Amino acid sequence: MLGFFIQRVFQAVIVVVVMSILVFLGVYAIGNPIDVMIDPAATQQIRDTLIRQYGFDRPLWEQYFVFVGNVLQGDFGQSFVYRVPVLDLIFSRLPATFELALGAMLIASVIGIPLGIWAGYRPRAFSSKAIMALSILGFSLPTFWVGLLLVMTFAVQLHWLPSGGRGPTSDILGIPLSFVTPAGWSYIILPAFNLALFNLGLLIRLARAGTLEAMSSDYVRFARAQGLKESKVVGLHVLKNIAIPIVTVFGLEFGSTLAFAVVTETIFNWPGVGKLIIDSIMVLDRPVMVAYLILVVLLFVIINLVVDLLYGVLDPRIRARRAA
Amino acid sequence: MQGDVLVTHNKIEQAHFVIKGDCLMLSRKNVIRAVTIALIGATSLSAQALAQDLTIGVRAGPDSIDPHWSTLGSQAESLRHIFDTVVAVDKDLQLQPGLATSWTAVDENTWEFKIREGVKFHDGSDLTAEDVKFSIDRIPQVTGPMSMTIYTKSVESVEVIDDYTVHVHTKGTAATLPNDFIRLFVVSSEIGTVGNEEFNAGTAAIGTGPYKFVSWEPKGDLVLVRNEDYWGEAPAWENVVRKEIPNDASRVAALQSGEVDLINYVPATDYAGMQNDPRLDTFISDSVYILNITPNVKDELPVKAKVNGAEIAENPFQDLRVREAMDLAINRDILSQVVLEGLGKPANQLMPATFFGGSTALPEREYDLERAKALLAEAGYPNGFEIDFACTNNRLPGDAAVCEALSQMWARAGLKVNANALNGTVFFPAQQAGEYSLWLSGWGTLTGEASYTYGSLVHTADPEKGLGAFNKSGYSNPEIDALLEEGARTLDDDKRRALYTQVTELSMNDRVLIPTVIIQTVWAAKADTLTFEPRVDQETLAQLITPVGQ
Repeated sequence: MLGFFIQRVFQAVIVVVVMSILVFLGVYAIGNPIDVMIDPAATQQIRDTLIRQYGFDRPLWEQYFVFVGNVLQGDFGQSFVYRVPVLDLIFSRLPATFELALGAMLIASVIGIPLGIWAGYRPRAFSSKAIMALSILGFSLPTFWVGLLLVMTFAVQLHWLPSGGRGPTSDILGIPLSFVTPAGWSYIILPAFNLALFNLGLLIRLARAGTLEAMSSDYVRFARAQGLKESKVVGLHVLKNIAIPIVTVFGLEFGSTLAFAVVTETIFNWPGVGKLIIDSIMVLDRPVMVAYLILVVLLFVIINLVVDLLYGVLDPRIRARRAA
Repeated sequence: MQGDVLVTHNKIEQAHFVIKGDCLMLSRKNVIRAVTIALIGATSLSAQALAQDLTIGVRAGPDSIDPHWSTLGSQAESLRHIFDTVVAVDKDLQLQPGLATSWTAVDENTWEFKIREGVKFHDGSDLTAEDVKFSIDRIPQVTGPMSMTIYTKSVESVEVIDDYTVHVHTKGTAATLPNDFIRLFVVSSEIGTVGNEEFNAGTAAIGTGPYKFVSWEPKGDLVLVRNEDYWGEAPAWENVVRKEIPNDASRVAALQSGEVDLINYVPATDYAGMQNDPRLDTFISDSVYILNITPNVKDELPVKAKVNGAEIAENPFQDLRVREAMDLAINRDILSQVVLEGLGKPANQLMPATFFGGSTALPEREYDLERAKALLAEAGYPNGFEIDFACTNNRLPGDAAVCEALSQMWARAGLKVNANALNGTVFFPAQQAGEYSLWLSGWGTLTGEASYTYGSLVHTADPEKGLGAFNKSGYSNPEIDALLEEGARTLDDDKRRALYTQVTELSMNDRVLIPTVIIQTVWAAKADTLTFEPRVDQETLAQLITPVGQ
């Protein structure tokens, strides 16, 4: 078990190093951030001073090693634009994105898994076909378009919900959160639903396919022969057996929902990290880009680790194999 | 490693499931059940805005509350609520008294500024000449990304004569110093040596402006409250929130849903619809931004021109007839009315003609395709030539559309122009490195006078003199250079204006840059709620907006 863990950490370190080199090279290839940021009226002297101030006059490998040295001391550097520590900048916006992604995944699983099981349990029913049609929509409609449609319907036409922003937040353990107040709910519900759509479709399909297969298996037949109620057969035996692919996808999708919620954040003007990273790319704010991507890599590694550990909980055979 | 194998395995399984799931099975005996998505019971928000509250949806906000942080337009616009400048400007960017009531050149190298008496900072302390000196001296110490030292580059030292008089000693004669001071925000000298953090937290955000700072977060809301002791005209709104909504569609939706009272930068596509919407008012204004074409006139083009598919050694743009032909082939009415959907006006110089040093004598540029063809033939290109044309696609409204339209207009004159619209992040570094042969870019004359624009774009690139910093075309004309340099030394306004007008006329007739269209921008507000007069610098200032009926 420990070996497995160490292996994972080692992999993560390699990925982080490769990725940081790629980002450095990529930004270097695009050009000098000063040329994007500088004021047209600047003189050559002002430009040179700025370039020296940011260290862009030094060779790329030197800039990279200075960066690595600082990171090893826990310092990810300062944003070129805001001149505040990058980690502060990212962590000040992470709770908003985290809350949004979690809300979206909750909506997707609470609605998607039961619907999917139903569609697999009664594949010929009209309701099941309606569910599957819905899941196709969830998959294929572009997020930004659905987002705009939601805003037009619920905010502009019906005036039920606000069109964007995060609204009032309340601090819990020092972290500002929206879901505590009804007003906060009214702000989060549309973007969370918009973000949930794709995963909703995915989870419906996964749960349906798993259920379809499980329903025809021997253990379901035996469970029924035992005289168990249908709700128990589906809720206990079937659900447990289809859980592994669902947990895998849930984990992976949670990671990407968190890391790349940018489209939804842009449309709903949600003050999360997605917007921050897009703005940073636009002005070549390299420290923010590198630090954010490193965090994303770490996030994926952690999520995968948790997912792997969950397999053991869900499936005794995996536990046995790992112990061996 | 086991875990990874499992994940891969499950991914394959998942793909397999999804494929199976796609086959819908048909059946007759169905129970019709509506599948609806439960939305949490949503109560309509009581967005009943009070008459003294104003919420503005803006495309961009500040990067810091430090007024000396950056020279970006959105930065100055936001901080003009909290801080005042030494010299103010009216809506056409012409100089007005600000915190300084008057300014005069007492000798060749000294400007005297008389500071307004009776002005109080938000903390109750009095504004004095010390604060002005402190603010000017502070600028080089601030380490923002776009240093404001461009506004103080001609300042040698600042001398306090008495409480309300300041002498600014300049390096050489600086005729345009008052223009440089229109973004010189004055902070209280009592804040001492503070950085970005103290300003963002509000402890150092003490100005003399019409509004007091309440709170701000990067890319979020800037919250302001009225300064009851403001020295100028009292602002109409008590509470102001400036919400940053960069996405165009979201900003429009925020206005339509009543989230905000006013938005700036309405996209052209929404403008037509809004004009017919009785619930909304629109305000249109010229901007200071003009899209200009720059032909590279260096001896060797970075990307060579081609005739019949073969590269040619010479640079066709060195021939004035070619530049003139390209100008004549542009139909500016089509560009403004069709391509920009009415949000543009034909331009015949690099800044509005009414600005200091503009020319009212220059004729409108004409569209004459036959003459363009004739000139090209005369210059030795009867069958035209092929050239790459670079431009931005995200810097100004319509920049990419104008770029593509231009390449089609030139095609009618027989030129094969390969338009390439790029993200500004890619375009600007490459343009600075001199990688383009022909390009289109926007330029805004933010100071309202000619030396800012022509000194940067038309004067020979000369780092020693600090001129021609954005002249990447290699153009060099000693006559124009001499006029610009003489202007910088001429303290007499009328004489200086005449010199700059001459620069404008010479360079425009020589087609150093070819101006195309003035970009116009639009604001929209809830109908009959407020009035304001748009400014050419696009600033949306709460203190200049008044509620209807007051």
